Amino acid sequence: MSKTKFPLSRRGAIKLAGAVAVASALPRPLRAAEPIRLGALNPLTGAGGSYGPSMRKAIERTIANVNAAGGVLGRQIELFGEDTQTNPDSAVRAVRKLIDADKVVAVMGTWASSVTTAVAPLCWESKTFLTCVSGSDTITLLPHQGYLVRTQPNSTLQMTELGEYVGSDLGKKRMFILGAQTPFAKTNEERLTEVLPQHGSELIGALVYDKDKTSFRSEVDIAMRAKPDIIFLNGYTPDVTVVMKDLFKAGYEGTRIGPAYSVNNKLLKSLPNDVTQDCYTYAPSPAVDSNAYKRLAEFLNVDDVDPYSSQTNDHAALVILSIARAGEASGTAIRENVRRISQGDGIEVDNVLDGLKHLAAGKEINYTGASGPCDFTDIGDIEDTQFRYEIVDGGKFKTLKIG
Amino acid sequence: MENYLIAMVTFAGIYGIMALGLNVIWGMAGMVNLGLVGFFAFGAYTTTLLTKDFGVPIGLGIAAAFVTTAIAGVVVALVTGRMRGDYLAIVTLGFSETVRITASNEIWLTNGTDGISGIPGPWRGEVSPETFNLIYLGIVAGFVLVVFLIMQRVRYAPLGRVLRGIRDDDQVVAVAGKNVIAIKAKAFALGAGVLGMAGAIYAHYTSYIAPDGFVPLITIYIVLSLTAGGTGSNLGAIVGAFLVVFFMESTRFLTAVVPGLEAVQQAALREFLIGASLIVILHLRPTGLFPERITRHEAPEPPASGAALKERSQP
Repeated sequence: MSKTKFPLSRRGAIKLAGAVAVASALPRPLRAAEPIRLGALNPLTGAGGSYGPSMRKAIERTIANVNAAGGVLGRQIELFGEDTQTNPDSAVRAVRKLIDADKVVAVMGTWASSVTTAVAPLCWESKTFLTCVSGSDTITLLPHQGYLVRTQPNSTLQMTELGEYVGSDLGKKRMFILGAQTPFAKTNEERLTEVLPQHGSELIGALVYDKDKTSFRSEVDIAMRAKPDIIFLNGYTPDVTVVMKDLFKAGYEGTRIGPAYSVNNKLLKSLPNDVTQDCYTYAPSPAVDSNAYKRLAEFLNVDDVDPYSSQTNDHAALVILSIARAGEASGTAIRENVRRISQGDGIEVDNVLDGLKHLAAGKEINYTGASGPCDFTDIGDIEDTQFRYEIVDGGKFKTLKIG
Repeated sequence: MENYLIAMVTFAGIYGIMALGLNVIWGMAGMVNLGLVGFFAFGAYTTTLLTKDFGVPIGLGIAAAFVTTAIAGVVVALVTGRMRGDYLAIVTLGFSETVRITASNEIWLTNGTDGISGIPGPWRGEVSPETFNLIYLGIVAGFVLVVFLIMQRVRYAPLGRVLRGIRDDDQVVAVAGKNVIAIKAKAFALGAGVLGMAGAIYAHYTSYIAPDGFVPLITIYIVLSLTAGGTGSNLGAIVGAFLVVFFMESTRFLTAVVPGLEAVQQAALREFLIGASLIVILHLRPTGLFPERITRHEAPEPPASGAALKERSQP
């Protein structure tokens, strides 16, 4: 073998440097009328990839509507979107770009709890407002100084509702949890242990599995040995699909209930109807009877809008209305005004355009969107939301109760 | 924009340190290590627990991360001592998944899948975020330089020569009287220690770690960095890491200017472009941008009697 020559010539190095310079100069957006810059950070790929695209569309729709109606504060809105890849490391780099390069005043629609926790410090340090749909209890306990709100009810609230439904409505006495290891696994177990006895039921056991396994037969056996009359499938779609199959094979005939984000249409399509028959689902429900929800469903061209897209629809509305009320586009202005336009005694509005009109007329508003009332506590949790309970019948969902 | 570029160079520097660590194990000693994110996580958790829960100074936390991860590296090397190629790759991949799943489930220690936030960083909170960013860039640059110099030293030292020998044929090295397992363990310890240190530097920079952040995706980034830069070459490791970050970041801007794409299509196009760029590089330069250069000494002219000897020894 001969000696290799140093591979990069001086000319090559200059070319490379030139290419870098051109590439970094390219993206600088045109600054014609100084648009208001907003950021969307959604899980377009990775585990959240089945929700992210429609979450993003909901945000884009709200912004397109406002721009078509002349913008806000006389300025157009420019949306900068990035993909979290449902991974905290990728999300941190993406949010750096949104905050530092695109100079957005708000970042909307982070999904996974780990992603939200990873990007939140960067947002509050740079006084950028963050709205998320993550459910882990710990998120709003971060020292976020008010720069964070979420529209997804936290685990404690969800389990309080679920416990009541299982004990009082379904009249089940012995619940067993079969769940993936998630930020809410432990909270859910603790909360159900407290709540179920108040409704004449009890939690007789819980088992946390590794969600990447391809068979859960031994876990199913352990669960069945405890003789539960209801099993709570507390995981995500891929693992819950396998668990349901294994429960069926094991001859389990008791009741099953799972969150609607995992027992969803995708799961029903991938399993025979026999396997999924009579499985219950619960979900924080979007306000399905509201006009805001119906308009969003029509736009997305679906019968049922998932809760996350309903929520990001409202994220964009809340951010824009806050900016309008403040008369200024900054993260701090949104922080100061988000509760002033979303709760209180103002005129009820269910869409951003009506809200802008009333605000322009100097009136106070109270925004209620596709996801529900959007009223926030001091630490940024949603105060109350509706829950929807459904049952699978013949491979389709049938709504049992909303409330 | 400056702040963003500084942050990305910092990330590239951290990836570069990881690639240097991988280079000892894989590039020099030829041991395929697909578990490097496990060592990265090990270091990150070590310093986080020490500095956050016990108030240990950050510098000491990073040093401790190096030492503990190096020990973990020795253990892995001894367990896998007799494995090569695919078998070693699978076991090391298993190691990293074990670390991640342990971190997910041992909630009392690691706070589980919630992760640990609020990890201290040098002067974080006392200076503006921009200044912190700049300070950290300096720190990372210092680490890259020091690790690079040490690795260059190793490469040209007798140890580096023996490692290359093991990579090419470990039986020959054993016949030459070297203790192959011990030397493999040494290489693993050094490489793993550097990976753990990179994890610690990462944790103090981002202030938040969670099992979700230590998925095999990171391993793939670093393996790609080293492959694109030139396996076996320390300069290649660093250049490769910068290249991978450059591809990942510049594609954000490129896909944004392509008209008529939906968000999800942009995201897919971005991943496609990253993959395609690396394929192009490896197609044009199969040994990477800066392939390992090994100085080969010309064999001395055999003396006349030697020629006779050679002839006689032929069968």
